[in-house]
Amino acid sequence: MFRELTCSSRWSDTSCASSIKSADSTSRWRLNEAVANDGHSGGDVQPSEGQYRELIQYMPTALWQVDTRAMRKVFDRLRSEGVTDFAAFLDAHSGLVELAKEIVRVAEVNRAAISLFRGQCAADLTKPVGYIFAAVPQALKRIMIAHFEGRRNHTEQSKIITLDGETRDVILSVTFPVPSEQPYRSFLTMLDITDRLRTEAQLRQLQADHAHAARISTLGELATSIAHEVNQPLAAIIMNAEASLRWLGHDEPNVLKAKQLTTRIISSAERAKDIVQRIRSLAARGDAERIVLDLNEVTEEALFFVRHDIDRNQIELSIDAAADVPKFLGDRVQLQQVIVNLIINSIQAIRQAKRSDRYIRLSIAPGYRDTLTFSIRDSGTGIADEDLDHVFASFFTTKESGLGIGLAICRSIIGAHGGCISASNLPEGGAQFQFTLPAAPPPPLVEKLAR
Amino acid sequence: MCSAPLIAVVDDDEAMREALCELVQTFSMSCRTFDSAEAFLGAHSLGRFDCLITDLRMPRMGGLELLRTLRSLGSSTPVIVVTSSSDAPSRSRALAEGAFAYLTKPVTRDTLLQFLTAALGMDPPE
Repeated sequence: MFRELTCSSRWSDTSCASSIKSADSTSRWRLNEAVANDGHSGGDVQPSEGQYRELIQYMPTALWQVDTRAMRKVFDRLRSEGVTDFAAFLDAHSGLVELAKEIVRVAEVNRAAISLFRGQCAADLTKPVGYIFAAVPQALKRIMIAHFEGRRNHTEQSKIITLDGETRDVILSVTFPVPSEQPYRSFLTMLDITDRLRTEAQLRQLQADHAHAARISTLGELATSIAHEVNQPLAAIIMNAEASLRWLGHDEPNVLKAKQLTTRIISSAERAKDIVQRIRSLAARGDAERIVLDLNEVTEEALFFVRHDIDRNQIELSIDAAADVPKFLGDRVQLQQVIVNLIINSIQAIRQAKRSDRYIRLSIAPGYRDTLTFSIRDSGTGIADEDLDHVFASFFTTKESGLGIGLAICRSIIGAHGGCISASNLPEGGAQFQFTLPAAPPPPLVEKLAR
Repeated sequence: MCSAPLIAVVDDDEAMREALCELVQTFSMSCRTFDSAEAFLGAHSLGRFDCLITDLRMPRMGGLELLRTLRSLGSSTPVIVVTSSSDAPSRSRALAEGAFAYLTKPVTRDTLLQFLTAALGMDPPE
C-alpha cells in the first residue's frame, strides 16, 4: 500500500547538524500512494512531487503530520467493546489522554512549525505529541473526541509552550483524513496569534482608558448636579438631627419622636452613601467587563446622574421601555456613560434651541433580528445637515465649551460592543440618536463566552 | 394665639420636605407637605395657609412659577424659598417676584424660626 521514497526535498531536515535553512536532505518521507500516483509516472512524478514538498516546507503555516496508527488501534478496540460516548469514556479514563501523548507521534514538520516552537531542526519536533499540548492538555482530549466521533476537522484557540519555555497563543486545527485517503495520518496546523491578541488587548485597554478619561470629564460637567444630589440627603440629616435634639431637650423628652427622626437620619445617610457609591463606580477605572445586562436597568441607572439637570432645565422626560427587550452582553458603566452622554447632548441642544416645548423621549425596544435598540429624541436644535456626517468624530463640537469627545466615546463604546450608532434629524425639529446592540446569546453560550 | 399657624411645605424630595416639616413642628406650628406645586395648588384656598415654604427647582412647575400663580390668585401668603442653589441671580429673581426670604439648604432651625416668625408677623424668638 505504501512505498518509501527518498526525497531530494522534503518537509524538513531531521538532522540537527544542519540548520533549518538547509535544503540538504537525509530524511525519508512516507508518501501516500494516492499522491505519488497522481496520473504521472516515473520521472514526471519527481518534479511535481518536489514542488509539492517545497510548498509544504516553505508555507508560512506551521504544519505537523501526525502518525495516529497507535490511536486508531485503540479506537477500534473501544468501538468493538461498544464505547459510543467517548467524551464520557475519557472522563472516566483520563489515563488514555496521557497514553496518547506518548503513543501518538509526530512524523513530519515543516519549517514554520520548527520556527514556531523555536526548534533547531525537525528532530526537535518529530517525537510523541505530548509537547504540543503541554500548555493546554484539554486540547488533546477534545481532538481525540473529534477524531473518535469521525469528524473531519477540529479547530480551537489554544496555547503552546515553545521549546525555550515561552507561552504563545495559537489557532490550532487538526484534519483527520478519512481512512481511504490517509488512514494513519492526521494533519495539524497552527497559526500564531499571540501578537494579534496582544494588539487587540492593547486596543481594548486604550478604548477603556479613553472611555474612562471621558467619564471623568463628564463627571466634571455634572458636578453641580452631583453636588445637589449629595447635598439633599445631607441637608435632611442636619435638619432631622436638629429637630431630634429639640424633642430630646424638652423637660419631658419626646423619645418616640427622636426615634422616628433618627430612623429618617439613617435612611438619608444610606441614600448619601448610595450616591457616593454610584459616583465612585462611574469614576473607577475598571477593566471592561462583559456581563448580561438589561438595557432598561442601565438606563434607569444612567438617569440618576442627569435627572437633576433635566429637572433644572424644565425638560419633560418620557421613557417608553418595551417589556420584551432582550438582554445584552456588555460593560454596565460604559453603557451608562453612553446614555448619560446622549442625554447631556440633548439637554444642551434643548437649551440652545430655546423652544417652548422642551422634551426628551427615550425609547428602548427589541430590534431587528436578535438586536435591541435605544433611541433618544429631543426638541433641541437638531444637527446642521453639513454636520450630520461627523457628529461622532473626535473633537467635533458645535458648543462653545466642550471637548467634542462625548459622542465619539459613544460610538467607540457601542462599536466595541458589536453595535452601531446613528444620528438623524426629526421632521418636527430636534434630533434623534439611536444605537443598536446585539442581543446576548442563549445562556449556555453566554457561560462559554464568559469563560 | 387661638390656633397654631398652618405652614405648607412644597418639595419634590421626600426626605427634604419631611425634614422641613419636622423642624416646623418643633416650633409648635402645624405643617402640611406637598410633593409638587400642582398638589399644593389643588389643596390651596385663600387664607388657608399662614406661610408657604417651597423648593425652587421641581419637575413641571417650579417654585417661582408657583409664587406667581399664588399672587395671580390674589393670595398674599408669605413665601419662603428653600433651595440648594445659592447663585445670586436666582436669589434676586425670587426676591423680586415677592418671596419673603431665600434660604439655602440645609436650613438651620434658628434661621428657619427667625424667618418664619417674621413672615407670620409674630414676635421674634428670644
